[in-house]
Amino acid sequence: MKIKQEMKDDVLVIALSGKVIGGPELIEVKDVFRKAVDQDKKRIILDLGKVSWMDSSGLGVIVSGHTTISRASGALKILNATKKIHELFIITKLITIFDTYSDEQEAIDSFGE
Amino acid sequence: MTVRPIEMRFPSDTDVLEPLQLIVEAIGRSAEVAENDLSSLSISVVELAKNAMEHGNKNDPEKTVTVSFNIFPNRIRFMIDDEGEWEPEKALGFNPGEGEDLLSTRGRGILIARNLAKWVEFGLTPEGKTRVTLIWPLT
Repeated sequence: MKIKQEMKDDVLVIALSGKVIGGPELIEVKDVFRKAVDQDKKRIILDLGKVSWMDSSGLGVIVSGHTTISRASGALKILNATKKIHELFIITKLITIFDTYSDEQEAIDSFGE
Repeated sequence: MTVRPIEMRFPSDTDVLEPLQLIVEAIGRSAEVAENDLSSLSISVVELAKNAMEHGNKNDPEKTVTVSFNIFPNRIRFMIDDEGEWEPEKALGFNPGEGEDLLSTRGRGILIARNLAKWVEFGLTPEGKTRVTLIWPLT
């Protein structure tokens, strides 16, 4: 799994790629969320478009990020969830928690609403 | 004649999850599971193997998880055995996806496996250890 971060306007876009599978590397993702909040970056988009495989461990980290960011009065939004990942969000009802987008600019603009 | 399953043994170590995912997809591909369904199959088996490591073997790398499989004309059968005697309803005594547990960071593995796979059942090995059986129909 790879993690890429980029600021777009005042929104932090975190892009994951590869397989999001259980193991120590998921701690890295948690740290990215935590450090972002520490740096007062509270408008965050998680781009999952290049994630080829993900299971419940990945969902757990996303929920953890949501909790961290929400407690700091921020918001985490999901971008480009593949059909398979979207299915996991539906099965676990996390779809009721997260705003999901397929267009990056639309996701960025949504923070201003 | 009863065909004995092919068995694979893994330590309770998350490093084996990616190799397991690849092996399960190779098994599915050899049984002509649709390409679009291969990741659902591998997610299901990996989720159950992670539960076996965590709940059955308490993440002790000295304890093994055994994944065995048979390919029958109309189905694949996976059996995931650990070295514990855990009861899923007690170990996972909440319903992820409901109320406050919606935001739990864990506990979704069985829910996902049961939704993606067609049949997932918990039982015991002849030695009394926990065994999960997953049946994947072949169309």
